[in-house]
Amino acid sequence: MTDLLTLEEYQAVAADLNPACMSFVDGGFRPSVSGNTFESTNPATGELLGNVAACNAEDVDFAVQKAREAFEDGRWSKLHPGERKEVLIRLCKLVKRNSRELAVLESLDSGKPIADCESIDIPEFIHTLTWHAELIDKIYDQTAPVGNDAIAMVVREPIGVVGAVLPWNFPLLMLAWKIAPALAAGCSMVVKPAEQTSLTALRIAELAMEAGMPKGVLNVITGGGAEVGEPLGMHMDVDMVTFTGSTVTGRRFLRYAADSNLKKVVLELGGKNPCIVLNDAENLDKVAEQVVAAAFWNMGENCSAGSRLIVEAGVKDALLERIKAHARDWNTGNPLDPQNQLGAMIDAGHFAKVDGYLKQGKADGHDVVLGGETDNGTFIQPTIFDGVSNSDTLAQEEIFGPVLSVITVNSYDEAITVANDTEYGLAASVFTANAKKAIRAAQAIRAGTVTVNCFGEGDITTPFGGYKQSGFGGRDNSIHAHDQYTELKTIWIDLSDDAVDGSVD
Amino acid sequence: MGNTTMHFEGIYTPVITPFGEDHSIDYDAFAAQVQYLVDSGVQGLMVGGTTGEYYVESHEERVKLLEISKQIAADKAIVIFGTGSINPDHSIKLAEDGAKYGADVILLATPPYSLPTQRELALHALTIDRAANLPIMLYNYPDRMGVNMEEEFFDRVGRSANFQAIKESSGDINRLHMLARDYPHIQTACGMDDQALEFFAWGAKSWVCAGSNFLPTEHLALYQACVIENDFNKARRIMSAMMPLMRVLEQGGKFIQSVKYGVTMDGRYSGEMRRPLRGLNKDDKRAMSQVVKTLKTTIASILAEDSAEQ
Repeated sequence: MTDLLTLEEYQAVAADLNPACMSFVDGGFRPSVSGNTFESTNPATGELLGNVAACNAEDVDFAVQKAREAFEDGRWSKLHPGERKEVLIRLCKLVKRNSRELAVLESLDSGKPIADCESIDIPEFIHTLTWHAELIDKIYDQTAPVGNDAIAMVVREPIGVVGAVLPWNFPLLMLAWKIAPALAAGCSMVVKPAEQTSLTALRIAELAMEAGMPKGVLNVITGGGAEVGEPLGMHMDVDMVTFTGSTVTGRRFLRYAADSNLKKVVLELGGKNPCIVLNDAENLDKVAEQVVAAAFWNMGENCSAGSRLIVEAGVKDALLERIKAHARDWNTGNPLDPQNQLGAMIDAGHFAKVDGYLKQGKADGHDVVLGGETDNGTFIQPTIFDGVSNSDTLAQEEIFGPVLSVITVNSYDEAITVANDTEYGLAASVFTANAKKAIRAAQAIRAGTVTVNCFGEGDITTPFGGYKQSGFGGRDNSIHAHDQYTELKTIWIDLSDDAVDGSVD
Repeated sequence: MGNTTMHFEGIYTPVITPFGEDHSIDYDAFAAQVQYLVDSGVQGLMVGGTTGEYYVESHEERVKLLEISKQIAADKAIVIFGTGSINPDHSIKLAEDGAKYGADVILLATPPYSLPTQRELALHALTIDRAANLPIMLYNYPDRMGVNMEEEFFDRVGRSANFQAIKESSGDINRLHMLARDYPHIQTACGMDDQALEFFAWGAKSWVCAGSNFLPTEHLALYQACVIENDFNKARRIMSAMMPLMRVLEQGGKFIQSVKYGVTMDGRYSGEMRRPLRGLNKDDKRAMSQVVKTLKTTIASILAEDSAEQ
């Protein structure tokens, strides 16, 4: 990745952008069939970025039809694996070549800090797509041990037409998490980006065509949940829906599947993730740094955010001082300014929701030990509430903002109990110098990812997803993600003498 | 304007331009023709279409015809303004003035003679779009222009929501299938009179029909049967009665002359054609008059039968 520019230089790049706002179907941009549009604005400034096609069920139906045609005639699904790989690698190169434009577009559309877009979102997009592309011609099917009178092949085939419904917090990265394994597996896709953040997905679709992806394989339909998400979930010709977003919406997709064609559903949902710091944790400065990153990265608009600090009493005060010191280094402001670590909240509605939690937390008498301030109806300072009980709203509800709740406990056992006392189970962190405790905690915590002495989500090689109400049906990333976009098939070939004789006739 | 969605539904008449004996435009006769069409209940007027002989008119003449049409049509019918020209710069200027003088929609054709590639066509179309920023009806007429608007063109212009409809005049039924199936966001308007029934069957809701210059009632009757009543049995009977006229118009080689003579027969002044066209001869006129008479009687009887049943 190239070096960061100055604010003025980023503003100049932004002024030159002319984002496509139409949906992308069958290899071209198209307005919605109804001709309706909605406004896409920069959440940091309110400035209009474009009038985006407001699609509906008719557009979804058309895109699914085109994706189905592409899948059935095999222009992608039956392409030689090596050729599929080549196209995806070419797409990675094009993304790299256009990375600055994409980073600025992502920042303008989502309010994310430009420094994150440049150093995390774009490189991770490329990395994810490359990894799955490289996997395409390195996975083997299997034969089962069924004796000499038969051959049993266990093969994987692309599942078909996949609907991908994306969140607004990591528009490009979540796009990569969905399209990389699904396209690598040979599926055709209809992607619905979040209404707030449609622009980079449209640009990626355009670049995919430039990379040589056949028409109809990657379609992007823009619009609202009721108008696009629901018809996609209810569609009788969609074989699978992969969704990242809220638990409430995730439930809907399960209902849609049950009420339509029993399509496969993979859900990656909310989290209220514990960050456990035990008395014997080493290097409190590093711990504090990790806790701050876990809580405030991406404005806390992150399902794996470590929003509950569960800390043993013996180390609490010393840790909290260090956390405050580190958090003060995180600047909030104009997302295009590379000096800022926190940008704008995604939109006014979400800002009001997070602000509501701040007000409620204060009204409930929790100590604000840092932040708590809001600015311009757009920005929220990193905020830490101390003295929170795990039964409090602050500790139970997913806030999706830069708000950390500190819960003090008196033992390892209590820490584990509190950590598991949530309806979610996406991610967790444990900080301790005791290896046995670390491993036991990792085993005891019911979450999809547990990190020890650090905060993180693993990487492309490890599965990401949730226990309990944080997920359903599968995982993003890793070879397991690739597998979930395929169907398993058994091919049984009879080799017994009778069959041979019969078949020779 | 811009990003306004037009719903193209109904009969759109490409208005003839009456020329006097000295071949100057008779604006009064034009105004009378527009008034007649508006009173007849057509949904739209096309000014500066092929039937209007735009290719032999000056920029100023075309803009004046637009102004007159807008004044008379007011909010009773929409006005589509043709921007066709052999010279793309002229098309851009027409688009600018179209927006300035109140056109509701612009008609955007492929420039004739230069045989542009699909990419060149798309860039041309997007330039004209920027000049007017109005809803656009595309005009595909390869017999006169030498090129077709192909899939690559449609894919490339998709970035602008103004490309909302296409008047398809190629006569190639496969293109209608392609448009209906692959470009549902582009509304198809029948631009090939003898295929109106087929267009309506594939979901087109509008018909740009030169014959409506003198037979608006009959053309509206087909639209009513197909689009409003969805009664294709009745529609087939009406279309069948119209087919002799369609043969004269689409297959007779004297399209504009025949339309103008139709207007004359109907009692309004349609005047001369500008060169190289010349008027119909005596035999053509006699044949045309016979065809129109039979058509009117037959369709009137179909409509009378229908109202008797109700």
